Amino acid sequence: MKTVNPENEANAVDVRFIRVPSIAERKLGPDHAGPMRLDPRMLDNMQQTIRGLEGKYGETLLRQIDGLFRLLDDIAAGSQSACDRLYDIAHDMRGLAGTFGHPMISRFANSLCTYIEGTVSSERLDGTILRFHIEAMQDTLSGRENNDIIALETLRALERLIKTTIRERRIAG
Amino acid sequence: MTSPAASASDIFTKLRILVVEDSSEMRRLVIALLHSMRVGCILEARDGQRGLEIFNAEKPDIIITDGAMYPMDGYEMTRLVRASTQGNCDIPILMISGHLTRAIVDHARDQGVTDYLAKPLSADLLYQAILRALSKPLHIVETPTYRGPSPTRNLQVRHADWPF
Repeated sequence: MKTVNPENEANAVDVRFIRVPSIAERKLGPDHAGPMRLDPRMLDNMQQTIRGLEGKYGETLLRQIDGLFRLLDDIAAGSQSACDRLYDIAHDMRGLAGTFGHPMISRFANSLCTYIEGTVSSERLDGTILRFHIEAMQDTLSGRENNDIIALETLRALERLIKTTIRERRIAG
Repeated sequence: MTSPAASASDIFTKLRILVVEDSSEMRRLVIALLHSMRVGCILEARDGQRGLEIFNAEKPDIIITDGAMYPMDGYEMTRLVRASTQGNCDIPILMISGHLTRAIVDHARDQGVTDYLAKPLSADLLYQAILRALSKPLHIVETPTYRGPSPTRNLQVRHADWPF
């Protein structure tokens, strides 16, 4: 391990800059200090793994969308735990749906999460906005082969609706 | 002579990677991808507290972690890993997160995160990040109160290439 101290002795701040050899250098030796090349076969293996998990994830998505619908009544009744649960599910979908071939669902989930993140905790979530998002995800999942353009239009409309709702709430104080 | 690509394959079998993720679906995905890379030892934890225990006990080479978790999140775990005297505190830490605001990414950087990957994850995004973690020397800054990647660098979020 090489230690360099570029600071002169008069400098009161004690900062050291240390170069730690890469993992490849440490495990394979100093000849392996350069960048590593991507192996297309390994990448293909990984992509096949994702494709293999897609079917199982499709079932998970159906369950999650169903779960989101079931939370709406409790949210309308003011349940904070239902709001938290809805956010957790949407956040999970935002993170995973795109990986498994459902990028539009990921974007709807992202819009839903962004709406919740931008809502002050004392404000009640707008049930219409929540329901429209969940229905859009359901519609996209049921017809994912040919409706990306419609889904994009729906997403833009939802984003406009969120902006309008937030602006009206701010004006109303 | 061994080609660089072959060397990369060889090194994966010698790697120990710790995956810290509270979502079972996401954890299953990352672990399956690491298996398909023939990573020799994959360790898993559901939150930062358990991740920290495994880090100290098992001495992994790389940590892949989520950000938001309960009871201990990935940011706090990263801070404690960097301050650890038991394990390799200079370990590359790859954070995979859906929280992409500048403030959150800067917070991750300040705790010592090495690389920040946006969800949704792709095979290519994870593979490239692991190759970087394997092959790049670590430039560590040490002060009396911090040791880790430079906390003043501009940590960029790396995104998968999606069709739209």
